[in-house]
Amino acid sequence: MNYPIWDVSFGAGLLIALVAGLHVFVSHFAVGGGLFLVLTERKALKNHDHALLNWLKSHTKFFVLLTVVYGAVSGVGIWFTIGLISPTATSNLIHIFVWGWAIEWVFFFVEITAALLYLAGWDKLNPKLHQWYGWIYFWAAFASLVVINGIITFMLTPGSWLDVHKFWIGFFNPTYFPSLFFRSAICLALAGIYALITASVQKDKDLKARIVRWGALWTIPSLLALIPFGYWYIREIPAALFLSARGPMPTATHYAFLAWSLLAVTIILMLLALFTPRRMHLAFALVIGLVALGAMDSFEFVREDVRKPFVIENYLYDNSLYANTMPGDGGFTVDNLDTVGVLHSAAWIDQRTITPDNKIAVGHEIFRVECQACHTANSYRGIHQLLERRQWSPATTRAMLTGLSLMHNGVMPPFAGTDPERDALAAYLDTLQTITPKAAAVDGKVIYQNNCSMCHQDHPNDQFFTGIVTDPTAAADSLKDLTTIFPLMPDLKLNDAQRTGLVQYINTQRPPAQHAQLSPSSEGGK
Amino acid sequence: MIDPSMVPTIDPNPLPAPYWLFKTLLLITFTLHIIAMNFMLGGAFLAVVARFTSKGKEFRNRIFLDLAKKIPVFLAATITIGIAPLLFVQAIYGQYFYTSTILIAWPWFLLLVLLVVAYYGFYYVTYNGQRRPGPAGIVLLVSLALVLIIAFIQSTNVTLMQTPSHWAAKYFASPTGWSNNISDPTLIPRYLHFVTSAIAVGGILLVLLALARWKSDREYANYLFQYGGKAFMYATMAQFIIGSWFLFSIPRNFRMIFMGDSPLASALFLVGILGTVAAIFLMSGAIRKQNIRVAAYGVSGLLAVVMITMILMRDILRDAYLEPYFHPHQFAVKTQWAVLPVFLVLFLGGVGLWLLMLKRYGLFSGNKVPPTESLPTEPAEPKAEIVG
Repeated sequence: MNYPIWDVSFGAGLLIALVAGLHVFVSHFAVGGGLFLVLTERKALKNHDHALLNWLKSHTKFFVLLTVVYGAVSGVGIWFTIGLISPTATSNLIHIFVWGWAIEWVFFFVEITAALLYLAGWDKLNPKLHQWYGWIYFWAAFASLVVINGIITFMLTPGSWLDVHKFWIGFFNPTYFPSLFFRSAICLALAGIYALITASVQKDKDLKARIVRWGALWTIPSLLALIPFGYWYIREIPAALFLSARGPMPTATHYAFLAWSLLAVTIILMLLALFTPRRMHLAFALVIGLVALGAMDSFEFVREDVRKPFVIENYLYDNSLYANTMPGDGGFTVDNLDTVGVLHSAAWIDQRTITPDNKIAVGHEIFRVECQACHTANSYRGIHQLLERRQWSPATTRAMLTGLSLMHNGVMPPFAGTDPERDALAAYLDTLQTITPKAAAVDGKVIYQNNCSMCHQDHPNDQFFTGIVTDPTAAADSLKDLTTIFPLMPDLKLNDAQRTGLVQYINTQRPPAQHAQLSPSSEGGK
Repeated sequence: MIDPSMVPTIDPNPLPAPYWLFKTLLLITFTLHIIAMNFMLGGAFLAVVARFTSKGKEFRNRIFLDLAKKIPVFLAATITIGIAPLLFVQAIYGQYFYTSTILIAWPWFLLLVLLVVAYYGFYYVTYNGQRRPGPAGIVLLVSLALVLIIAFIQSTNVTLMQTPSHWAAKYFASPTGWSNNISDPTLIPRYLHFVTSAIAVGGILLVLLALARWKSDREYANYLFQYGGKAFMYATMAQFIIGSWFLFSIPRNFRMIFMGDSPLASALFLVGILGTVAAIFLMSGAIRKQNIRVAAYGVSGLLAVVMITMILMRDILRDAYLEPYFHPHQFAVKTQWAVLPVFLVLFLGGVGLWLLMLKRYGLFSGNKVPPTESLPTEPAEPKAEIVG
């Protein structure tokens, strides 16, 4: 709200995912592929393998055209995109890490020059000098990973930077090294996978087999190394944060599952390739590449999702509000907005007062400045779809906004603003729900999923299942007004049948110990 | 005038080095970026002209092929060097930069898509110019059109970022990132001013190529010299119209900064104009006397001076536009002494390594002609003639 919000109808987050998701798949290749080029050149020269050397020349051209053009421009593309979508975060990161980026730029400059000369030098330079350019390329490319890794990991685990605000403390943060090892392994794995693509179109089957075996040697051990590095990485992420990758937060959980499964599939496909190296077909190489892309992007999604609701953990929310009051925050904190209001804090809104006539329009503006960093009205992470599924009444929607920060293990930021502003937002959100709610459901499971599962977990130990008295009648009575149980819960106004249904569902989900105690008594009551 | 509260506040983190250091780095790296960009854009423009006027003129086709090989390298340099000013402009002008780019978010984002397409187009021409001159010419034309569009998006952003009073109306008319800045009377002349100077510098690129071939292939080198030298002269002469248009499109109070109000700005303006006039006369004389050295060293030297004055004037103009909102003393400064020296050492080391890479490749030894292209080893022409 300090900056205007770019209204991307299909979802700003989707745009970043698209740009970054493809960039990382090329940029990690740019690092690992550099080492692959120079070591393969050495191997080919040592074995006097002219066929391999000739293939490597064409592979270099493929490598340079992909990494120097698409890789470099899409890297700038991420920067452009985050500046458009999260200008506050970008501005903070620039001021914290501008010298880090300046250092990365030096490596980048050396890297690009070395890449172009390595490509152009194939027929001009003696092998020793040619490899010298290859080594410079690789080390400069790796150094740029060493630098950018500090900034990316800082966003997830800023650690004690939050207290001391020192460059190197933020840079060498808790996940710096696990991430560096993890990403380095990805780099090496991709070097082998990309080699399959250019190898697959070779007519000489012996050559093809040699390249596939050599590529698999790069890929398979690196993929296996991802497992311990991945666990190390997870251990360094605060446990409470990583919870959202295991709990009911849908995206992170799905992507964590996808990341590990696709990793397994990539390993299996590479083993298949290793056993039939002479038959490597372009389509098969591309399938391996796509599966690996899926695995890698799933990992990046998990990393982004466990960071939510922050863009810089415990410092800046995704919607550009600072987590805590500090000098220079410009008043863009949750506390300040709760007191002063969105309409009197945000610069880029058109309305300053709420009237019955403009309530929905104001709600829309509040949606834009507070929610649209992640959500859309009816597309990517669309509120329309969410409300259609949940079928909330306007009162429930409004109440849910009160307990927003409790949703999904805390992956939502709190609503920031005054009560009338929350009402305006709720009024706007109600307009996104186009179908009228069906007759109130009495199935306890449906009631639970539509109204409770945003905050409570499908886990027997969740308070939801342990905290309610075991006697069915008393339990149903206790659900009459939920706000008496906990003030941030919505007052669902469930009727008798619904309450009974919900209690029945709760009883099926309780921990086995409680369940066992419950059964005889409920039977006895009959 | 816009409510200044619409100008975003700076984030809480202090500037990690003094303002002047960022400004200096911004201006130096921007100058280098513009030189590379001018070689790329001007080179592409002259290559297109040469390609489509090559019927019956073998040398024009050679110019096309010669330039085609170099354009991807200049584009790589443009992008790579350009990252630095993009970084430093965000460090000190972030609030203005982010806001204006958000207003034109889609063009700003699509700029990169156009860039990737143009880049691959230039590479296509490099690899196929000889074998398939027809399609290559068309691809080159398309790539040139794309970089011209990119330049227009850049000009739009620069004019928009320094006029915060135009922001609110555009944003509240549509927050979808499809705004433009056509209504700004300085946009078109400013854009043409930059593009035309790129063509002039492209002409100098040909003169430098002519110098490199002066000994080995005089006839072709002389043709290159004429072609490039004239391109430089015509483009620079056109600047007297376009530049004046630009000058008179900016508000009077800003114009007067360069016409007396500020002695420094006025001196820069005077040096720029006189340098430009002198460069035209020098080039004209050099072409008449076939004196490549005067053209290659004298005119480029003058041009470098003119370019620096232009970059400085551009900066003065920006700060004049932003004067109601922006003051360097707004920044809290806390120099990161633990990192800054690391950058400076690595920067110097990087430049050293870069030069060593070029040297070991033979780019400084004049041994540039690859064996396949090498010409019969005739003795070089007498030196006197080269100078005379």
